[in-house]
Amino acid sequence: MENENYDGPILEIDKLSISFFTRLREIPAVMDFSAKIMPGEALGVVGESGCGKSTVALGVMQDLGVNGRIVGGSIKFKGEEMNTMTPERLRDIRGSQIAMIYQEPMASLNPAMRIGKQLAEVPMIHEGISEEEAMARALEVVTDVKLPDPQRMLKSFPHQLSGGQQQRIVIAMALMSKPSLLILDEPTTALDVTVEAAVVELVKDLGKKYGTSMLFISHNLGLVLETCDRICVMYSGEAVERGSIEDVFDEMQHPYTQALFRSIPLPGADKNARPLIAIPGNFPLPHERPDGCNFGPRCDYFEAGRCDSQVIPMEKVSGNDRHESRCLRFKEIDWDAPPEVGETKEKAPPGQVVLKMDNLKKYYEVAANALFGGGDKKVVKANETLSFEARESETLAIVGESGCGKSTFAKVLMGLETATEGEILLDNKSIGNTAIEERDTKTVADVQMVFQNPFDTLNPSMTVGRQIMRALEIFKVGNNDAERRQRMLELLDLVKLPRAFADRMPRQLSGGQKQRVGIARAFAGDARIVVADEPVSALDVSVQAAVTDLLMEIQREHKTTLLFISHDLSIVRYLSDRVMVMYLGHVVELGSTDQVFAPPYHPYTEALLSAVPIADTSVKKKHIVLEGDIPSAMNPPTGCPFQTRCRWKEKVPGGLCEKDVPVTRALADGHQIKCHLTDEQLAEMEPVIEIAAE
Amino acid sequence: MEPLTWTGSLGAILNPLFSISVVLLACSVVIQIVLSFFAPAMTLQSNPDGTLVKRGGALGLFEQTTKLFFFAALATVVLYILGGVIMPYGSAGIIGAMSKQFAPVWIALFLTFLASIMFKRRLGLYGKLFDSIIGMIGFGLVMFWVFTAVFAGLFDLIATHDPLTQISGLKNKLPGVALPEGSEEMNPHYLLGGDNLARDIFSRMVYGSTIVIAIAPMATVFAFMVGITLGLPAGFYGGRLDTLLSFLANLILAFPVILLFYLLVTPEIVETGIPSYMAAFLFVFPIVFFGVLLNSRFYTQPSKRNPMLILVLGGLSWLYLSMISQAGTKLNFLPPAVDLFDIAPGILVVFVSVVFVNSPTVFRIVRGLALDLRTRDYVAAAQTRGEGAWYIMLWEILPNARGPLIVDFCLRIGYTTILLGTLGFFGLGLPPESPDWGSTINEGRKLLLIFVHPPLPPAIALLSLVLGLNLLADGLREESLKD
Repeated sequence: MENENYDGPILEIDKLSISFFTRLREIPAVMDFSAKIMPGEALGVVGESGCGKSTVALGVMQDLGVNGRIVGGSIKFKGEEMNTMTPERLRDIRGSQIAMIYQEPMASLNPAMRIGKQLAEVPMIHEGISEEEAMARALEVVTDVKLPDPQRMLKSFPHQLSGGQQQRIVIAMALMSKPSLLILDEPTTALDVTVEAAVVELVKDLGKKYGTSMLFISHNLGLVLETCDRICVMYSGEAVERGSIEDVFDEMQHPYTQALFRSIPLPGADKNARPLIAIPGNFPLPHERPDGCNFGPRCDYFEAGRCDSQVIPMEKVSGNDRHESRCLRFKEIDWDAPPEVGETKEKAPPGQVVLKMDNLKKYYEVAANALFGGGDKKVVKANETLSFEARESETLAIVGESGCGKSTFAKVLMGLETATEGEILLDNKSIGNTAIEERDTKTVADVQMVFQNPFDTLNPSMTVGRQIMRALEIFKVGNNDAERRQRMLELLDLVKLPRAFADRMPRQLSGGQKQRVGIARAFAGDARIVVADEPVSALDVSVQAAVTDLLMEIQREHKTTLLFISHDLSIVRYLSDRVMVMYLGHVVELGSTDQVFAPPYHPYTEALLSAVPIADTSVKKKHIVLEGDIPSAMNPPTGCPFQTRCRWKEKVPGGLCEKDVPVTRALADGHQIKCHLTDEQLAEMEPVIEIAAE
Repeated sequence: MEPLTWTGSLGAILNPLFSISVVLLACSVVIQIVLSFFAPAMTLQSNPDGTLVKRGGALGLFEQTTKLFFFAALATVVLYILGGVIMPYGSAGIIGAMSKQFAPVWIALFLTFLASIMFKRRLGLYGKLFDSIIGMIGFGLVMFWVFTAVFAGLFDLIATHDPLTQISGLKNKLPGVALPEGSEEMNPHYLLGGDNLARDIFSRMVYGSTIVIAIAPMATVFAFMVGITLGLPAGFYGGRLDTLLSFLANLILAFPVILLFYLLVTPEIVETGIPSYMAAFLFVFPIVFFGVLLNSRFYTQPSKRNPMLILVLGGLSWLYLSMISQAGTKLNFLPPAVDLFDIAPGILVVFVSVVFVNSPTVFRIVRGLALDLRTRDYVAAAQTRGEGAWYIMLWEILPNARGPLIVDFCLRIGYTTILLGTLGFFGLGLPPESPDWGSTINEGRKLLLIFVHPPLPPAIALLSLVLGLNLLADGLREESLKD
């Protein structure tokens, strides 16, 4: 272990450029990237997908694959140049001094090896210690990452753990050899919000405890605010702004950073006073970058002839510590000027009830032996007594983590599954027990869906126009192909896509554009109820705002009822009228947006709100970290579904929470909650999110 | 006429050149392999202008020389061929004479490659094939035999003699032997010698290709139709249907193939009509496939669908009926006036057995792909707008499974070719005098210890075609995975 007493910067990246070489051309992925991480410091790298942030991490690890190449600059780890290191020296450093944590925990663990053995391997290889010693250390580290029953954990295989537990094991593995630098590449993206909050908390604590420096890569500004000391904003392969968290968040000096902040909803802010402003245009492809400033074509402050005529260097912002911006005009721009707000459009008031759920239940029977159907049968209660109403031109948000039953509910509503019990009334006509094959065209066209993953929502081998026209054919719109084609072009206009896209293949479209096509297809039969299943969660923040606005605009025009399924409470608060919180198939809270987002809360809602990372330094948040994971729906806890993780459980006398499922009771007009807490106890609750007075 | 030597006068110059380059190539490859154990790994260094340079020391040098010698050897081969085409008959030896016979194939190959490479960016996956050396070699080998079959089968080019004519005195004669004085044949030599019935081996090899090229792809297409039509619902619905169909597929796969073939051609079995009934069953799948394909897509527009279905189903049914109705078998119901064609009963059996044996494997591949693809959002989107199951299977799932299926199609033609060879080798199905490669190899086998030359040309032909198909599949797979 050399450099034991080194006290300079842990990682020093200077003017790093990385390119990928393909058959046709060189594609620069990272240009002129500099960064410095001091011991114990955490640097957050933020940017949209394709901006090169992961490439930086791989560049540091010198692991760019066959066609990736560092084409300039230097990377110094503890003062030692990494670009010229021998493979042996690199192997030595990787895993022992620099450890990396990836997005997908299951992909980082060997499924055929017990956890303990995988963990023990690290110090056995790098430090040559004995197996007993290594196992002892593994036990220590597993205890450190707060996993229950560490002994048992060491003996289990990766697939026996939940996603959150797996990610903790990956973190434990990274910490096994006490690295000086930890690289985290979107470590929590694949996890649920409450689990994410716990993992982030853990990473922060461990960073302090072990004194590890961190390079934290994320697309989520809120997460970076919570975990890092310094931040670097990247756009299209370049760092555009870097500085301390406070400087960048409160005194941003680059138009892209500003636009990014304006396009994300903050749960503390009012939606009328601070509407989302989408960044116009599209992210440039790496080989089609404009001259001069990469952000130029999408920038409000663009000055032709100046911004597009020269290479733009990083420049220091005077007055702040190590705060730099890659903008020619940052000294001229009035950063405090309020954004130009377009005309505020009045939302149509909710009309009559269109959709009514009455005690809807959906149970699945899972047979132990699938082949012959014999053996024990287990019942999975995916939806338990769902009752609510949705009105015309209303947005009802359904919030909950994975496994809470929201997708099952969507399936039952769409008719892909039939309800076990209860009724779904569409215009007072029961459709809950009618499978989609038996529904008439009108009903099918009325209830449509927008899917989550834009890369999966369109058939890759059919043109965009063909797919929309197919929906029109099925919904019996238009008498012949010419009429349908005309209608299809109008639908493309509706979702603000150029008509030329009709003849494109889906692979030629960006994520946001595909999602727009998905919306156009859903509205092909003039849908009255649209179930949007996390329609923007897979999109980049700058595109999210545009797609969200589009959905709301179409809703205004068509008086659509929008059922917005999401786990992102910021966006839910921004666009919904009412919110329904689900946990393990139960509706735990239902009310108008203001009611749900203000105390009294259901304990789960409270935890959910506290788990949302908020990218605003002026927001003070209570930290409520939920213990453990969501129980399996196959084996739900007795009594209240949330009792295993609830922090208010002790306040209810007589172990009532473990015995009985609480009844739904109304707190205020239209606000209902499923909890054993008394009204007085609920009234004691404090708001989770507070905006500090400015 | 003098008997021909292998390379004639051309060999005086080219033979030493060829041997030298091949020996050097072999040495270079060996040195390169040995060096790669000791020499430092090659590094790529980037230049300021964005290009890459290889820095490799001795190892890099030998990599260069290997490439050089390889191209030198390749160039001599091309010279042999060109020389043969250009020089007058006989002066370039057997190789020259053969390459002269293959002249139409060379021209067709050259034009195909030229056109394909010129427009490769516009040709999708087919165009990408021309970025991979492996793929180009495979495609070249396959197209060589395809063109040979086309020119020989349709235009009577390429072959020098009739594949069945015997010329006395040429029994088991060595390659390059001259015909006896006074014979009126077009070509004065047996280029690759004569077989044990004094027939021209070269011509038999060329005509053998027409049989293979006609049967193998067609049989594979039928196997795919059956596999797809059954595999899609098995994967899409799952459950009992899947269990049942998979079980049947496993049953067929577990049955010894050769035994099955022997059973199918046994006169007693043919007498019962089993092969005919199997043909009737297996050949119905294309009709089902296309019928469902069109109906699921156009059922919303009856005015468009009805004529289309009548046309396609009518045509296919007629072909189907003509195909299964054979004079002299159990199934013979069409009056000769409407019966379009009769297939030789042997060929029908070969067809049936090849389809029967191949379709379970295709079934399993398609089922696996459908299992994966049915979880996609676009399938859910189709379900939520009320599409029928067959539309989802055939128009949403199948087109997106095409990549692996195309690769498997190429490989499977290769297997089928070998299977045809095996059948011919056992003398099953095809008539004994048939020039197909399997039968000729089998015939040559009998005197193999004395005369090696009769079975070698068909064996090499079979090898090169299957190799070409496998390389083509490799190239396609490699290229379809890239960006």
